[in-house]
Amino acid sequence: MAFEHHDEGHYTVVKIDESRFDASIAEAFKTYVFDLIEEGKSEIVVDLAAVRFMDSSGLGALVAGLKKLSGNGSFSLASAQPAVKDLFDLTSMDKLFKLHDSVDEAVKGD
Amino acid sequence: MSQLLKLEIDSQLSNTTLVAMAVRGVCAMTTLSPVEINRLELCLVEIVNNAIEHAYENKAGYPVEICVDLDKTMMNIAVSDWGQSIPDEVIQDKAEVAVDPEYPETWLCSGRGLHIVNKLMDQVSYESDQGKNSFTMKKELRH
Repeated sequence: MAFEHHDEGHYTVVKIDESRFDASIAEAFKTYVFDLIEEGKSEIVVDLAAVRFMDSSGLGALVAGLKKLSGNGSFSLASAQPAVKDLFDLTSMDKLFKLHDSVDEAVKGD
Repeated sequence: MSQLLKLEIDSQLSNTTLVAMAVRGVCAMTTLSPVEINRLELCLVEIVNNAIEHAYENKAGYPVEICVDLDKTMMNIAVSDWGQSIPDEVIQDKAEVAVDPEYPETWLCSGRGLHIVNKLMDQVSYESDQGKNSFTMKKELRH
């Protein structure tokens, strides 16, 4: 299974258990996250620790998750690796997403 | 003297990894830094994804050809398909929508691939000739 999730306090941590978050799995991720949001999960942290490569389709799936919440909750990212951080810088997506160094830090709350 | 590597995959997104890894291997022979190699891999994947998703509308069973031409001064990568060509207005659209956290309509879920490639590669070009569409991108090498 490419994705799994568990609850930590009122946060739902979604782990991407793949080294490549690309076009081949982006749509499946979107469906997975949309299902969670429709079940009522609204404080989402995506754990990117395993992801070594992300393309614009992976990025688009994250944006789709953020948009799906329509401001009713939070959608943040944790443990982004260097190539993933670079993609966020290149596309200015660091303006949209809060990037935490770790899941622990993300679920501590603001 | 230049060296040429020609690869072909079937038009399935899961095959993109194969060319990405092969081209990373070629990059390891060059003076590109780890960050530059990651970026070149990203550009290659974006263009191969485009060929599969747009030229072939995500249908398997069609060829995507990747030619890597390497010499001491540059690496040239051409990605070719025999499907629908990219419309001129898409190729010429160099202006990227600026992301604004205040305006969700600027939070685009797709359409970033070509902008990323235009930003990261030293030169890009696109041509269609007798049903073969080729997107060529060039990276200069330190020597």
